Amino acid sequence: MTNVKATRPEVVVPMSTEQQTRPAVGGRPVVSVRDVDKVYGNGTVALKGVNLTVKEGEFVSLLGPSGCGKSTLLRLMAGLGDVSAGKVSWWEQDYNVVGHKGRKLAFVFQNATLMPWARVRKNVRLPLDLNREKGPETEQRIDQALDMVGLNKFGDAYPRELSGGMQMRVSIARAMVTEPNLLLMDEPFGALDEMTRNKLNDDLLRLWKANGWTVVFVTHSVYEAVYLSNRVVVMAARPGRVIEDVPIEAPYPRGQEFRVSTEFAGYCRRVSEALEVASRQGEEAK
Amino acid sequence: MKSPLLENERFVQIAAPVFVGVVFLLLWEAVVRATGTPVYILPGPLDIAKAFVADWAVLFHSLLMTLKVTLMAFAISVVLGTAASLLFVQSRWIEVSLFPYAVLMQVTPIVAIAPLIIIWVDDTTWALTVCAVIIAIFPIISNTTLGLRSVDPNLLSMFRMYRTGRLQQLIRLRIPSALPYFFGGMRISTGLALIGAVVAEFVAGTGGTQAGLAYLILQSGYNLNIPRMFAALGLITLTGIILFALMVWLSDRVLRNWHESALKVEQ
Ligand SMILES: Nc1ncnc2c1ncn2[C@@H]1O[C@H](COP(=O)(O)OP(=O)(O)O)[C@@H](O)[C@H]1O
Ligand SMILES: [Mg+2]
Repeated sequence: MTNVKATRPEVVVPMSTEQQTRPAVGGRPVVSVRDVDKVYGNGTVALKGVNLTVKEGEFVSLLGPSGCGKSTLLRLMAGLGDVSAGKVSWWEQDYNVVGHKGRKLAFVFQNATLMPWARVRKNVRLPLDLNREKGPETEQRIDQALDMVGLNKFGDAYPRELSGGMQMRVSIARAMVTEPNLLLMDEPFGALDEMTRNKLNDDLLRLWKANGWTVVFVTHSVYEAVYLSNRVVVMAARPGRVIEDVPIEAPYPRGQEFRVSTEFAGYCRRVSEALEVASRQGEEAK
Repeated sequence: MKSPLLENERFVQIAAPVFVGVVFLLLWEAVVRATGTPVYILPGPLDIAKAFVADWAVLFHSLLMTLKVTLMAFAISVVLGTAASLLFVQSRWIEVSLFPYAVLMQVTPIVAIAPLIIIWVDDTTWALTVCAVIIAIFPIISNTTLGLRSVDPNLLSMFRMYRTGRLQQLIRLRIPSALPYFFGGMRISTGLALIGAVVAEFVAGTGGTQAGLAYLILQSGYNLNIPRMFAALGLITLTGIILFALMVWLSDRVLRNWHESALKVEQ
């Protein structure tokens, strides 16, 4: 653990190891990562001794320099790939509970990851098809999901006919249609312009509240992390590890006023400084 | 000032090569006449056209025979080649063990093995078909295998997250991803099927009612009927072009909504 000297607005968070697993809004753990190492076949130590617990209803951002293992950590949380040491649990059980009612998980990738040969509607229904869910009720859910991302008029379009932002929305609709409880997002808006990104950030917060999701959100933008999250988890590289866990205690709904508030600026400074330290440590380890 | 017709891309695409062709034929005819080259050395386009009309019955019959072998070989190549690819992607082991033999088949000159096949396979049509398959199948196998493997890794992750079986993965993900590659393979394969059919017939050299365009060329050569030889050659080329165009059309139809190769990008 590294202490970061920082001027923080209002909140004072003691730096300690418990802090990483600090109980949040009072919910129970949804996904919890304990002492996890991940070493890839080529010898890259992508994660070393990572601890992180995400509680029900939380919006947690993973922030860190590129290559610090954010995607690796998120993929492990999705059950994609095995840990080299340690343990990941879902709803305090093993991966087998994932997929059952109230224990559903959805992943949103950095690029929209749509099937180019399928129309929007078919793309959105993919998870239902894979789960062999059929019937009029599923059609309704697809309509709802498309409605929520504002794409109900584009069901028959092909992905290539849509802008990058719209494709991302399709990707989110595809995640929503499964009515997930845990939503994992890997730099979903990284490739978008700022206007679109802000818009999608607001949409995401709205949907998060409306659907009672738990979200783990990977980003490399300090502003995005602070704007969205209950907690910003800062990671450092070589080896990938968690070095800070910053609670963002501003109330929701957050909007334009929050973006321009001194409180927001204070949080951003604090997180930036943590990120600075993370980058420096990564450099030294080179 | 540009005429609107020249702005039309489709028109230009057809008109430009036709124009080049006509100029070439005119020059050819002019040179042949100016130099007084005898017909049995180099006939002019007009002589060839005359042979076309005069020998149409025999030309057409031969064309049908060659076409039959070509299309059969192509169909078999597509079916067997696709089946082989599907087998290859089931496991690295199968691919690693068998792929070198597909390559072996490809690099062995067909002219060298055609005599053997003609000895082994009694029926001439089938013997020629086997020869043509041997060279036409490779692009299907190699392209389709590549395509079946060229799957977006994130989409594949998603399928894993939903614990999807191999069959679903194949149908919903691998086969659609492979389509552009598959069609690319088909374009090359039609041409090779035709070449295989012709080359094998040259080697076989069998006449009779089964005779195709290659035999007609051989025979016309012996008889110094050079215009007919050119007419047969022209038919082979034309067949190749039509088959190729057909494949392009087919792949455009199937892929036009989503794949870059079939998109008309507006600037
Ligand atoms: N499949 C893989 N095989 C080998 N090394 C990998 C693989 N995926 C990621 N890595 C390495 O692990 C480290 C962390 O990668 P990643 O989790 O993608 O970081 P981030 O998402 O923070 O940029 C990097 O050094 C990267 O090169
Ligand atoms: Mg990443």
